[in-house]
Amino acid sequence: MDPILALGSVLALVAAATGLGLAWRARQGRFTEVAEAPALTPADVASTVSFGAEATLVQFSTEHCSRCPGTHRMLAGVARSRPGVVHVEVDLTHRADLARRFQVLQTPTTLILDRTGRVQARVGGAPHKAGILAHLDDLPGSLHATLAR
Amino acid sequence: MPLLPAEPGTPGAGTGAGRPRRPDLDPRGPRFGAGITAGLLLVVVFLSLTGASVAALSLLVVLAALFAWGAIAGAGRHPWGLLFKRFVRPRLAPPRELENPAPPTFAQGVGLLVTLVGVVLGLAGLAPAVGITAAAAFVAAFLNAVFDYCLGCQLYLLLVRSGLIGRGPATAR
Repeated sequence: MDPILALGSVLALVAAATGLGLAWRARQGRFTEVAEAPALTPADVASTVSFGAEATLVQFSTEHCSRCPGTHRMLAGVARSRPGVVHVEVDLTHRADLARRFQVLQTPTTLILDRTGRVQARVGGAPHKAGILAHLDDLPGSLHATLAR
Repeated sequence: MPLLPAEPGTPGAGTGAGRPRRPDLDPRGPRFGAGITAGLLLVVVFLSLTGASVAALSLLVVLAALFAWGAIAGAGRHPWGLLFKRFVRPRLAPPRELENPAPPTFAQGVGLLVTLVGVVLGLAGLAPAVGITAAAAFVAAFLNAVFDYCLGCQLYLLLVRSGLIGRGPATAR
């Protein structure tokens, strides 16, 4: 191939990879509202910890996940700062059944459960703290949502 | 240093949290290395496209050997990682957090697999395979370096889901 054409192809490859990266980044940490989800119990996610009285943040991780420890720290910090909110981290490495059941396609994936254990929202990828806090405020029955009414 | 504290008072424990992690890697190191690797893979693609098959294959062999080094010795002891520690990290602020070396080491293994396929097919006389596998490895290395995307993490989850690894309940750790 002509060197100029080869150089053009190489640049096109870089451009395509950049496009892929931008598309991936735009989807990272995006919240999806979940409607009509059944109520979960701690046993459903193999958790030995009880769910929170106000809300529960269920984080799916694996042992090979570069962003999971950072997400763990952030969500655990949110749980510490908000009474009634509990953070549960579920390692999918040995629980492929849970990965399939909850259709986890990337780690971390976080579920926001309301006080009854119903999934209200899910986030694929590392979530932003502000988004998590806003969703906790908007959960049905939360103090914030009650005051707003 | 506030590096992955034990999170006292956090009931964050499903089946996995609280396991001992060994976060001892500056996460910028593997990304720096992925940048160098991506540049060299791009050279392989260019050489392959211009018909310099021997040069392309030779460079891919070197890159496969480097991936093997990272996969076996661990991402923290990769030559690019040593370069980073020696010349780059002293000029940077300390990292905000350290990383478990397992994900980038696994990623090195994925890189080894892909480049090895290119080397084997190239040696078998299928010259275009060298450029194609180098292009595939480039995309992964580039996304890692520029966007902090972890292809190894994604593949690991897919392997877990397919039941190929991590089968059975967690053993006590």
